[in-house]
Amino acid sequence: MFVRNKWMVTLLVALLVVTLITGCGSKSASKTPESGEKILTIAAITDPGTGDVQLTTEEYLIPLNIYDRLVEAVTTEPGKSELVPGLAEKWEISPDGKVYTFYIRKGVKFHNGEELKADDVLYTFDRMLDPKTKALNTDFLDMIDGAKERMEGQADSTRGMKVIDDYTIEITLVEPFAPFIACLSTPAGSIYNRKATETAGLDFGVKPELTIGTGPFMLTDWTYNDQVILSANPDYFRGKPDIDKIVTKIIPDAETQRMMFEKGELDAFDCDNARSQIPYFLKSEKWKDHIVSGPRVGTYYYHINQAVKPFDDVRVRRAVQYALDRQLLLDTLYYGTGTIAKGIMAPGLAGYNPDLPGFPYNKEKAKTLLTEAGYPDGFQMQITQTVDSPSTLKLNEAVQAMLAEIGIKVEIVQMDEAAWFGTRREGKLPMYHTNWSADFNDPDNFIYTFFATKNSVARSFNYGNKHVQAELERARTMIVPEERYALYRELEETIVYEDAAWIPLFHLNHLFVVQPRVKNFKVSWNGWSNMPYYEVRIEE
Amino acid sequence: MGRYILKRILVSIPVVIGITIITFYLLNVVPGDPVVLMMKEHISPDVLERVKAEMNLNDPLYVRYMKFIWGALHGDLGRSYKLKRDVADLIVEAFPNTIILSFSAIIIAWGIGIPAGIISAVKQYSFIDNFFMGFTLLGVSMPIFWSAIIMQYIFGLKLNLLPISGFSGPEYIIMPAIVLGWSSAASIARLTRSSLLEVIRTDYIRTARAKGLMEKQVVFYHALKNSMLPVVTVMAIQVASLLSGAVITESVFGIPGIGRVCVNAIQNRDMPLLQGSVMFTVGLVIIGNLVADIAYSYLDPRIKYD
Amino acid sequence: MIELNRNKFPEQIDEEMELQGTTFIKEVWYRFKKNRMAMVGAVIVILMICIAFLASQIAPHDPYEVDLTNQFSPPNSKYLLGTDIYGRDVLSRIIYGTRISLVIGLIPTLISMAIGSVLGIISGYYGGKVDSIIMRLADMVMAFPSLLLAMVVMYTLGASLYNIFIALSIVGWAGTARVVRAQTLSIKEKEYVEAARAIGVKNWVIMLRHIFPNCMAPLLVMLTMGIPGAIMSEASLSFLGVGARPPTPSWGLMISNGKEYLFSAPWVAISPGFSILIIVLAFNFLGDGLRDALDPYMKQ
Repeated sequence: MFVRNKWMVTLLVALLVVTLITGCGSKSASKTPESGEKILTIAAITDPGTGDVQLTTEEYLIPLNIYDRLVEAVTTEPGKSELVPGLAEKWEISPDGKVYTFYIRKGVKFHNGEELKADDVLYTFDRMLDPKTKALNTDFLDMIDGAKERMEGQADSTRGMKVIDDYTIEITLVEPFAPFIACLSTPAGSIYNRKATETAGLDFGVKPELTIGTGPFMLTDWTYNDQVILSANPDYFRGKPDIDKIVTKIIPDAETQRMMFEKGELDAFDCDNARSQIPYFLKSEKWKDHIVSGPRVGTYYYHINQAVKPFDDVRVRRAVQYALDRQLLLDTLYYGTGTIAKGIMAPGLAGYNPDLPGFPYNKEKAKTLLTEAGYPDGFQMQITQTVDSPSTLKLNEAVQAMLAEIGIKVEIVQMDEAAWFGTRREGKLPMYHTNWSADFNDPDNFIYTFFATKNSVARSFNYGNKHVQAELERARTMIVPEERYALYRELEETIVYEDAAWIPLFHLNHLFVVQPRVKNFKVSWNGWSNMPYYEVRIEE
Repeated sequence: MGRYILKRILVSIPVVIGITIITFYLLNVVPGDPVVLMMKEHISPDVLERVKAEMNLNDPLYVRYMKFIWGALHGDLGRSYKLKRDVADLIVEAFPNTIILSFSAIIIAWGIGIPAGIISAVKQYSFIDNFFMGFTLLGVSMPIFWSAIIMQYIFGLKLNLLPISGFSGPEYIIMPAIVLGWSSAASIARLTRSSLLEVIRTDYIRTARAKGLMEKQVVFYHALKNSMLPVVTVMAIQVASLLSGAVITESVFGIPGIGRVCVNAIQNRDMPLLQGSVMFTVGLVIIGNLVADIAYSYLDPRIKYD
Repeated sequence: MIELNRNKFPEQIDEEMELQGTTFIKEVWYRFKKNRMAMVGAVIVILMICIAFLASQIAPHDPYEVDLTNQFSPPNSKYLLGTDIYGRDVLSRIIYGTRISLVIGLIPTLISMAIGSVLGIISGYYGGKVDSIIMRLADMVMAFPSLLLAMVVMYTLGASLYNIFIALSIVGWAGTARVVRAQTLSIKEKEYVEAARAIGVKNWVIMLRHIFPNCMAPLLVMLTMGIPGAIMSEASLSFLGVGARPPTPSWGLMISNGKEYLFSAPWVAISPGFSILIIVLAFNFLGDGLRDALDPYMKQ
């Protein structure tokens, strides 16, 4: 028996040595790409889960690259966007703003070789509204006539959509909805192929070979939690993309991502994942010329729950608005990469109002307001956040210290995401910090999202100004853009300055660092981490 | 023996069911549901309620639990809420990676632990004893994510010897295995040391010594042979603690294993996925224990099970 | 040639021997002090306890005081270990963190050992149905990878120091229960226990007076080994984001928040990392020493 044991130990040691040796030896072998293939390697913190855009409201990496939309929002310059024809060559809107006619581009092929027809568009949108799909992105289409009945299961099809001929589709809305075209340009408006999608069934968006679109890339390989591979579509109607492959590695740890980038194992590093590295990259001789920065059409803010005492008192809310030294926070935590926010809407958004006064840091004023409200010695409150968000924690801890200076004792409560979002949805979350970036370029996407009656409860604002809320509904149906924007500006001022229902913080830039070989890498107009890579080039 | 195995398996069934009930209950009493988590910032109350109803999430807890058990009995673990994939597929895909990681870690743990244990046993209280025990203890004394990041920095980035993260070849497993293996080497070393010490004190070793055998022979031919028994079997028992360590190792090194699947499932309140992967891991631990016991009785004829 | 030093092994002590207070302590101390590393460990642990008690006197700064204009100042004469992103003194936070770490190490371990001892003795003493129920519960806990179980509990209860105590206690009791049960089973058969039962001594008295004292040796070792285990678990939970509530200066939290600056401001994460390293090593050495010293008393 001892012989066996001795051999076992020897064997194990030998095995170990062999693993180490072969390991070191073959290190370079697997990294070498096949001859001359241009591969863009990027990283994601979590696996996107599904490529079916109707079933997700935020995992847009795959949809933005493998599907096309009737209308596309393209980035004209950092922070600016423009709606251009996509799969629809052109469209017409009836004078009452209710009937939209789209003329589909001819000769566009899906990845499976099928030609795009008007029926595919009808199918795609109807699938979204079909309750069996369990779609989460219906908000972008629920203004279509008959959508409600379809979603509630009272109809087998959507009344407001009609195929005129193979290349023409007519969509009727219940009421005029000014941002409808913009809505269709969001990833949620991606067009599927009827035949392929029906065949795939539940596996659509999951099995690469069954997930079919018209886009510049095709989903070719997906190992859950490891990597997603998109390959160039040689028959793309705008021409084959320059890069042959996008490899998205799923790397949950931001420090690991950074080291891989530094070593050249990744082509782009998203600084949103590790803001602390920004000063390093800005100073580094090697990297400072390879930083791609773009403003984000988005706002970082603190939310206030008016149902939580003492925040039912407008003076207390205003006191907090003045108690934050935004410039100090921006400089120390975000290294000055952004601008101070003064309202809800962000620069670059249609209707943005640059003339708001803002909230200069004023500790004395904050204290006076608190005293007036009957809290000369401050009070206890909670700020909540999710557990795995170190960047939010940093801001919260800094704000905790700032509020302590006016006597408000803050307790930072960390909840796991499900509990946090669940409590928020019930309207019970005390105070939190987060940010919002534009889905589509319209004030509706900002103000309605937060302050419309139902939304304000679901986001725990519990904002109760009935006049503002009625006006928000009315603004949706207005047709003349200038009048709409003027109304939104007015509402924004009421919400932020009169009702003090919102604590604006910053508009932060989105920074990426890319390897020198990556060219034409642009931050999307809205500043999302997920972006289309069609125009990115690689030069060795 | 056959009866013993059968009995052990029967006893394990309530354990597995108990665990699924506990996890199911715990993660359902707190606020939050999978749909609210899928929508996150884009929460829309109407959509949320509609989709929840469509997914039968409004059914009472026990109904949902019974549905899961019924499906599981028919070999259907259901589809993940968040990932839309078949739970069984996800597990089958992730599981081998964790096994590879755990086994490499065990090899490392043995490679460090057994020699260290032997040396410190024969040289008890000497400098060498302290040094080797200290070295193995260093592994348990650093949080895994901490030693991982330092190794990544040194061997991955600075020396450029090993890939930093990912799972596309044998070289990718070296660093994670060392980090994870080192962290459990101490218990192997301790076990080797104490069982060797115990054996050395027994009569027949004294006899062997008295017969004038050389010390080296005594240690290797007689003592080691008998002291390896608990060490070999502890491996199977260590499965549970290795899986715990694998959770963090996998996420730092980007290994698509079952530990990450579990963590994601907990975070996403993805009950079908969580139940499936928990049943699987727990089953694995139970089998590990069973194998350990059987191996023990096989290796040591003094032990009999009825 | 490897040489064994025979004389260093104490003669085996009769298992049946009643433990007499002074001889027992003398015996153990005699063996314990021969182990240098264990002595070093003991000294460090005592030192840490002193630091924890005197934290407010020793700490040069307020560990919670935020000064954003002074973030990331490298170690200097004013801030010996530098400052973190909020300009807080790292040294002071580490000193206060000693308290937190010892508490995190001690309390959950004590709770889980108390639960484990009670259940283990009951299980071993009564046997039968009670035994199998308790042991099946223990199986459940042991079969569940402990970090995942702790995570599920923390998700249910929310992240905070007290909930860490609960989570780690829930995870930890099963191991103790098994050891104590095994010990109980062997002692139960001893003559003096049989005799006590025969003369009608109440069950709980037997458990308390005869069985529990015989479990003290393994319990003592498990306590010293459990403390570093709990400290490491807290660090892991902090990494997963369900650790102590900020701004608590827990070392685990400090490392997992500081690792982001490992390259730009290494002092933020390195010093708590070393603190954990030292305390865990110290407890492990102490535990190993105790185990060796108590070895004869731990046989079943």
